Formats: sequence, structure tokens, C-alpha cells
Amino acid sequence: MKTSKKMFAGALAGVLAVSLAACGKSDSDGSSSSPAASNPGSGASPSASAPASEPAKENITITFQNIYPDPTDPKYKMLHKLVDQYQADHPNIKIELDSLNTDQQKLKLKTQAASKEVPDITIVNPAAQMQPFVDADLFEPLNAMVEQNGLKDTFQPGLLDAYTFNGNLYALPDGNNIAVVYYNKSLFQQAGIANPPATFEELVADVKTLKSKGITPLAIGEKDSWTGSFLFMNILLRTNNGPGFLKDVLAGTKKFDDPAFLDAVNAFQDLVQAGAFQEGATSFDYNAGENLFKTGKSAMYFMGSWATGGIETSDVGKDNNVGVFKFPTVGGKGNPDEFMLAPGSAFAVSKNSKHKQETLDFLNWFMLNYPKEIFELKGAVGIGQKVEGDFKAAGYSQMAIDVLNMFTQVKGGDLAFDNTMNPGTAQAHLTSIQNLFVSKKDAKDVAKEHQDAFDENYKK
Amino acid sequence: MKVLRVKPWTIAAFVGPGLLLYVCLVFVPILVSVYNGMFDWNGIGASEWAGFANFHKMLFNDKVFWPAVNHTLQMAILSLVIQLPVALFVAILISRHVRRANFLVTSYFLPVILSVVVIGQLWKTILNPASQGGMINQILDKIGLHAWTHSWLTEPKYAMYSIILVGLWQYLGYHVLIQFTGIQNIPADIYEAARIDGADGFKADRYITVPMIVPIFKISVVLSFIGSLQSFDRILVMTAGGPAHATEVLASHMYYQSFLSLKYGYGSAIACFLVVFSLAATVVVNLVFNQLEKRYT
Repeated sequence: MKTSKKMFAGALAGVLAVSLAACGKSDSDGSSSSPAASNPGSGASPSASAPASEPAKENITITFQNIYPDPTDPKYKMLHKLVDQYQADHPNIKIELDSLNTDQQKLKLKTQAASKEVPDITIVNPAAQMQPFVDADLFEPLNAMVEQNGLKDTFQPGLLDAYTFNGNLYALPDGNNIAVVYYNKSLFQQAGIANPPATFEELVADVKTLKSKGITPLAIGEKDSWTGSFLFMNILLRTNNGPGFLKDVLAGTKKFDDPAFLDAVNAFQDLVQAGAFQEGATSFDYNAGENLFKTGKSAMYFMGSWATGGIETSDVGKDNNVGVFKFPTVGGKGNPDEFMLAPGSAFAVSKNSKHKQETLDFLNWFMLNYPKEIFELKGAVGIGQKVEGDFKAAGYSQMAIDVLNMFTQVKGGDLAFDNTMNPGTAQAHLTSIQNLFVSKKDAKDVAKEHQDAFDENYKK
Repeated sequence: MKVLRVKPWTIAAFVGPGLLLYVCLVFVPILVSVYNGMFDWNGIGASEWAGFANFHKMLFNDKVFWPAVNHTLQMAILSLVIQLPVALFVAILISRHVRRANFLVTSYFLPVILSVVVIGQLWKTILNPASQGGMINQILDKIGLHAWTHSWLTEPKYAMYSIILVGLWQYLGYHVLIQFTGIQNIPADIYEAARIDGADGFKADRYITVPMIVPIFKISVVLSFIGSLQSFDRILVMTAGGPAHATEVLASHMYYQSFLSLKYGYGSAIACFLVVFSLAATVVVNLVFNQLEKRYT
């Protein structure tokens, strides 16, 4: 009996030692000999790509994580067309698409990054949102690749700076956008509103008029809480009489209880209290919110200009029915030519990609063909690259051309909150703004929530 | 003491593989979580030792944490006190009055095999405001109860209960199945004997079915309780914890802290709490049922 106990103890200890050792291995960064750990970049399905065989012309799979899941979106069509074409030209290369909506993709990538299993190509957001991934050394620098075939010169000057860290370029943007307000002309007419609002006060008045006619004034997908934040930040850009509020906070020259911030909170609440948004807005995700506008159920929609293509090709966009206006002044403050700026989400290549060279070649080809393809599909408003071609002749709507003209009038602006401050602070901000949709709060309390979160997340 | 007439190494050989898997997939991750909980780490880059700071912050300094515990408990207790008795009642009715019960039990079970995402979307459209096509609100409107209409998922007061309701609906069939099977296993001659003694109908249930089903009922209780503690997907699909944390539960809080706020260490600390909490709940349930079983057997 004694021996049996000992043997059990021995067996258990052995089991524990083996399993602990296994864990220690997978934690170390790629130095172990197990196949799964040495190929951490093999994407969403490591089990499928683990047994690497080496025939003459190797069949390889490139995992392409993207945020174009909506078949009505021109970018979806562009993506599928280009990928099919590339696969036809390169029979040994299979490109596996992992299409997710924006928030899901962000979460998935973070989960994958935690286990060092970043897909070959993935999507990142500029500046502060990208920083942690770059710090963790997950991406391949694209300095050399972007020089090939003259790809670099296709981008708008200065745009790539938002994706460059310590002199290394880590991602290529699919767009460069500004925030605008789209409006449904026939619904405005129905409510007897002649012109789009020129001031925030007019906007609130229009909201009330539309509401009284039973029309949802503004559509929003506030379950994805960045949407409300984007709008709020545009108000702040006005009440602050110009850009740079968050930068001043980061520099320590301003605090969140600044009058500009308080005014912005109050203005935002005016909008909510006037019934601007659809009922139950906080349970609508981004696509559901946008669809309200696209199906003609709401009169206005505040969004980045990336939505132009989708709206243009939707039913509501027919017959020049959708117009667009700049976000108005708030309380007489601010300049409508200052916009919320959104350097687009961008394609990055995993540093641990198993087929790095093929992936880089593909991405280079993809980005070179992207402007032409998307131009033909009428989705070229707000892309980050120069487009050759006559928009009007190509059949772009008046709305799209109006948006393009606004680009030429941009006199600076701010990046979104989560592109400026670190994730911890940004999350607290997003929750705080989401809360304004369901309960009226004192602006000072909102400011305090922000300040507390900021102090906590930037204490070191 | 030699009850088993096999050599120890044989036992080890048979138990070993399973034990190894179990240890690797259950115990090691828990230990790793505890370890990660001691770091200030964003889940991607370098980490920094933080000792018990994360745990301290969780217990004393997090405005979302205790409400999340509260919501989690609400969910667990409400599903316990509403779902299980109803399931037992349904199971008794089925076993007594339905001859070929399979079809009915399968029907009740159907929602369980549906994906939570499908169910979440389905109920979202049912619970939406009337202006967005919500069924419940439209019905309330039609029958003249306009005052009762609410935006069920986005009013902080009701959002949590709406989500609990969906859970009750989905898992009722699961517990009906478990308890129905339990009732089927009670020998028929006991009921016959009872009938001779004058105990029939619900009297027989009170003195025979309920006491004899206690061990099965315990399984239901544990599954329902632990399931509720860990529920996460339903929250994510329906409200994403919103509006403003009104439907945040422990699991979703853990997830958002880890992956959205990039506080992986802190998320791990919450995970540890969840493990301890679940273990404690299981122990309590076991103690209670040991008493009950002693009393009835």
C-alpha cells in the first residue's frame, strides 16, 4: 500500500512537471521546438497549417483578416474580386478571408495577439490604437515593400505618418476620412425643412421637427460605442474652438473639467433629450444603425466619409436623394472646415508570418490595384491613395462629389478619442458617453469620470 | 484496503492520460491566471510585476466590479428560483399525462441546441421598441397597454431582467429533460403502493417524486447556477454589457477589461475571482443537498 501511494505521488509529480514545462515553453517567445509554438503567426487555424510539408511548388495559405463583411459594401466586392484574381494568377496561393465587423475584429486580433497568433494580414487602427501592437513587435516593417512598384507614391502625402513608429512603417491604410453628416432629402422635405442645419441649434430644432413628424432624426449604432464618441468628439472640436483638446489634456495643460468639455457634454445631452436618436440605440450595432439610414428610416446619419460608397449604392441613395453637410458650429464656436479626421484602418503584416515574402508580395499587388478597383465600384471616396479618373464621368453621385470637395476644404481637425488616448482611458470614455444615451447626467460628473480614468490609466 | 485487484501502475496507466489532460486544460490555466493576475500587463507587450494590486483594485476600487457581481448573482438566483421549479412542474405534468413524451420533451429542448447568437438576435427583435419592430411592445400597444411598453434592452432598469428572461426561455427545456429523466427512473411500484395507501396526484408528488428526485435536482441546480455565473455570450450578443455597464456580468467585465481596455493582468484577477466564486457556490450547493439527501433517504 505504501508503494502504491508513492507511485501515485511520483506519477502526479511527473504529470505536473511535464504539464508545467509545456506551459513554460508556449509562454517563451517562439524559441521552443514544438511546431505550434514555432509558427505562431499561422493565423486563425493553427492546427490546419501546423504540419508544414515542403513539396516542389508549395501550396500555401495566406490568412487575410479584414473588416469588409457586408456584401452590399463596394469594399466587399473589391476584396473578393482582387483576391479571386490573385488566386487565379497564382494557383499555389490560397487566400483565406476572415471577414469580421470592426469591433469583432479588434477583439479577435487582441485575443490572437495575446497568444502571438496574428494572421498573416490583419487590420489595425492608426496612432494610439496601434501602439501596443508595435511595442510588442508583432508587425513586419513595410519600409522596403512600400518602395516596390512605386506603391509609396500612390498614397496621399503625410498619411503614412499615422502608421509610422520610430521611422518604421507598419501598416498601409485603406482610407483617409473625415466625419460628415448625411441627410435624406425627401424626409427633410416631408418634415418641411428646406435647408440642412447651419448651426447646432438649428440641428436640435430640426431634430424636434422631424421627431414630431414621426421620423427618426439621427441613426446611430451605439452598441458599438465608438459611434457616439465620434459624434461627441466633433461637438468637442467645436466647443473647444479648434482641435487639440485631448492633446492639451495629455500635455497636462488642460483638464476634463474645462468649460469646452462641459459645453460639449451639455450640447450632446441636448441632442439626446431632443430625441435625436432612434429608440433603443444602445442595442444597435454599427451595421444595424447604418441600415436605418440606408433603408430610409432615418433622416440623418453622422459618420466618417467611408460610409459614402455604401450609402450611394443603397436604395435611399438613388436619384440624388442623399445630401451631405459639414458638422455645424456649436454655440457659435468652432469652424465647420475643421473635421474629425480618420486615417483609415490599415493592413499590417504579421512579423511571424509563415509565408512572409508571399504575403508582402500579395499586399503590394493588392494595394496597387485597390484604388482602380474601388474607383470602378464607386467606393473611392475617402480612400488614402490618389485616384486617376473623372469621378463625375464615372457616374459618381452629386453627394460623393460633394464629399470629395469637402476633402479639399479641410483645415485640420482631431483624431478620434481612441486614436489619441490609451485603451484604458478610451474604454472609460466610451462607457461614459454611452451612458448619456440612457440617462441624463451632470456634465461635471461626466468630466470627473473622464478625469479619474485618465489619471488612473496614465499614472506612471 | 486492497479493494482493487490491480497493480498501482495499471491504475496510473489508465488514469494518467485523462488526469494529464484535465490538469493541463483546467488546473494549469487557473494557476496561470492567478500568476497573470499579479502583473500589470496589456496582453501584448511587456509585463510588470504588480503583486496583489490588481486584486486590491478589483475588490475596493472598481466601480463596475460589485455591480457586475450583483448582476451575476441576480441571474444565477433568478434562474434557480424560477426556472427549476417550473421545469420540475412541467416534467411532472409530462410524465403523468403524456403518453409519448419524447416529442414534447424534444420540442422543449430545441432552444438549447440553437446557437446563442441566433437566440440573442431573435430576442433582440422581439424586445426592440415598437418603432423598431419589437413584437412585445407592439402587442402591448395593440391591447391598449401603451404605458407598459419599454425599450427592454436599453433601459438600465429592465435590461438585466430581459436578458435573464431569455436565459430562462432557452434553458427551461434542458432542465425539463434532466428532471423528466429523473422522474422516469422512479420505480412505478412505489406510486402503486402509495395509491393503495391513498396518496395520489400531487400528494404523491409531494411525498414521492420530490424526495426521490433530489439527487437529480441537485445536478440541475449546479448546472443552472454555474452556467449563470459564467454566462457571457448572451450578454455580448444582446447588449455588450451596456448601456453603460447596466448588464455587465463578471465574465463580460473580465473580457472587456482584458481585451478592450488591454488590462490582461486585471482581467486575469477577475477570472480568479470567478473561479473561486464558482467553487464556493458548488460547495454550498453540495452541503445543502447533502443535508437534504440525508433527510430524505
